[in-house]
Amino acid sequence: MELLTHSEMIALGLSFKVSLVGVLCSLPVAIGCAWLLARTRFFGKPFFEGLLLLPLILPPVVTGYILLIVFGHHGAIGRFLDAAGLSIAFRWTGAALAAAVMAFPLLVVALRNGFESVDRKLEHAAATLGAGPWRIFFGITLPLSLRGLVAGLALAFARAFGEFGATITFVSSIPGETRTLPIALYELISTPGGEDGALRLTLVAVVVALVAGSVAALMLLRGGARQEVEA
Amino acid sequence: MRRIGRWFGSVVAAACLVASVAAGAAPPTIFAAASLQPALDQLAREGILGSPAPRLVYAASSALARQVEDGAPAALFISADERWMDDAAAHHAVVEPSRVDLLGNALVLIAPAGSDTHVDLRHGAAPLLKALGEDGRLAIALPDSVPSGIYAKQALTKLGLWSTVVPRLAMSRDVRAALNLVVLGQCPLAIVYRSGAMSEPRVRVLATFPPASHQPIVYPAAIVVGHDGPLERSLLLALESPRARKVFRRWGFDAPPALHQLRRQTVRK
Amino acid sequence: MIELDLAVQRGEFSLELSLASPARALALFGHSGCGKTTTLLAIAGLLRPQHGRIALDGHVLHDSRAGIDLPPPRRALGVVFQDARLFPHRSVRDNLCYGMPRRDASDAFDDVVQLLDLPALLKRKPGQLSGGQVRRVAIGRALLRQPRALLLDEPLANLHREARSEVLEHLGRLKREFALTTILVSHQFDEVAALADSVARLEDGRLAALEGVDAFRSAGLVPAAAPLVPHPLPTR
Repeated sequence: MELLTHSEMIALGLSFKVSLVGVLCSLPVAIGCAWLLARTRFFGKPFFEGLLLLPLILPPVVTGYILLIVFGHHGAIGRFLDAAGLSIAFRWTGAALAAAVMAFPLLVVALRNGFESVDRKLEHAAATLGAGPWRIFFGITLPLSLRGLVAGLALAFARAFGEFGATITFVSSIPGETRTLPIALYELISTPGGEDGALRLTLVAVVVALVAGSVAALMLLRGGARQEVEA
Repeated sequence: MRRIGRWFGSVVAAACLVASVAAGAAPPTIFAAASLQPALDQLAREGILGSPAPRLVYAASSALARQVEDGAPAALFISADERWMDDAAAHHAVVEPSRVDLLGNALVLIAPAGSDTHVDLRHGAAPLLKALGEDGRLAIALPDSVPSGIYAKQALTKLGLWSTVVPRLAMSRDVRAALNLVVLGQCPLAIVYRSGAMSEPRVRVLATFPPASHQPIVYPAAIVVGHDGPLERSLLLALESPRARKVFRRWGFDAPPALHQLRRQTVRK
Repeated sequence: MIELDLAVQRGEFSLELSLASPARALALFGHSGCGKTTTLLAIAGLLRPQHGRIALDGHVLHDSRAGIDLPPPRRALGVVFQDARLFPHRSVRDNLCYGMPRRDASDAFDDVVQLLDLPALLKRKPGQLSGGQVRRVAIGRALLRQPRALLLDEPLANLHREARSEVLEHLGRLKREFALTTILVSHQFDEVAALADSVARLEDGRLAALEGVDAFRSAGLVPAAAPLVPHPLPTR
């Protein structure tokens, strides 16, 4: 007896691909935003923070709709992508973008907390030793906030993996291309008699979430304990 | 004389009590398939559904059926297909004798209003594929769960187009989303209800699927178990009234197919 | 030549200092809150004075009138902080080499390591070092920057007796081996007496006196105002 049918396996694989690509590609942007929030002051900073949290607050369908009109065909950015042959409408790359956008706030918040937990005095010391901002960031800030970074990645991955509303609104459900595990799950729940399949997929989703959550917790807890010992 | 007076007084009091209870009670809730929204909203606005107007909740028939089965406080349930009403009945969530086939609809192929595509469904897959172009997609609702998607799959299969068209599909959460993809210019074609197409000026109907190519599109309505009362029954009757029919027709719904009308009459008895 | 002319306002505290000293090793002496660490931070570029001019051996680090304000990386200073601030995730060797202008200046590296008795510690992490060892590594790190001046912020603070004499001895060696302009911030008499050539006494953000170390020594402990117990680490 196999755990998942062929089409369910495809959906599972697609979910992994979409979530990993989405989160990893958004990581540099998230790092930049988190650093700005943690280490700089500028005019309009609260507004910027609010903007970054928007995907967390807006209904996912609304976020998906915004993605559709911006990145879809004839969209503000979509038209350039289409012209360059890099269209993401109805493609797994579009699903990756939707997942990345929905997971972005979690990633930024976790990274920001990680950066803020790094003692600025160490960064000052590095500056007096001749290090410029980039060297300080990559040599001091980032390595010391690595636990927070990994925890953030785990949480963001879990969120991206479970993303449904924005994805189906933006890139619809296309088997093998955009039909991720949550969408397949939704389809099964919506079909009378599909409850058994839905349960199987739910178990898979729960396992993924547990693993991601445990990694995050491990990183955050162990990091905290170690700091106490050193002090 | 005094006894009559006292009797009369208590009747008046009872009537007042009933009236005040009725006035203080919340208006009934109707769970209706999403495609019925413009029509039902108009019916409520025009007072055809009584006063105060019932609360109208729209969603996919599948979601509504499951909620009704879980005991959601709806008085009436109107589904966009029989399958979900059957499912609710199987879970003893609706009052079977109250079930009526309220409306019929048709399935159409649409394109953006400004386009000049032409598709003749009788000439095989070629015109359809040509209209889709190189990488365009045909938007339909999920074909295994959403009624309009189920009908679309049936029709495409009956016309021998399904296997050719299946890799070119973009499947949406509901029929409204599929319609919107055409409105927004994201998809060149979509399969939706005639009612939806008629209420959206930004799309035009290219072709109507022959009624024989799919199961009859029937919108059954029924009273939800636990809410069977005179108010709810009169609400159901109001939905079937000639005034209501007129409004429904304006929005692209017609009377249910004759076969179903016959069934309705026998059940009623 | 050490030229300091600065005014700093931090909340309710105000510092106004103006001095010029040809001394090789200048000490800023006073008890907590007198402005000595503030002065050090301003010299290092970690704190911007309201206005002023800071120059060391002719190199202008800050001049508000001329619009000069070098950022810390470009001031070529070696700063030894009161809390050492070694990078906890790097080895002692990596910490030492962090500020070295050229990675292949291995002669300088060996010299400093020998001078501060660090060879046995190179592979360890800062978390595995004692208080005195941490201080020595911090000093070595600042030295290996090959700075034009060394800034020491309370180098012997919060060390127990053995560590104090250990670090003090090494600082003495340093003074003899390297002719490096040094600014030392301290509230402890013996440190200042052992290491400084000239002493600037600060009181409540003002310069109370500028004297040679001999005069400072004969004056003995600063009367009345000096506390007899070590101060807690000042909070910044």
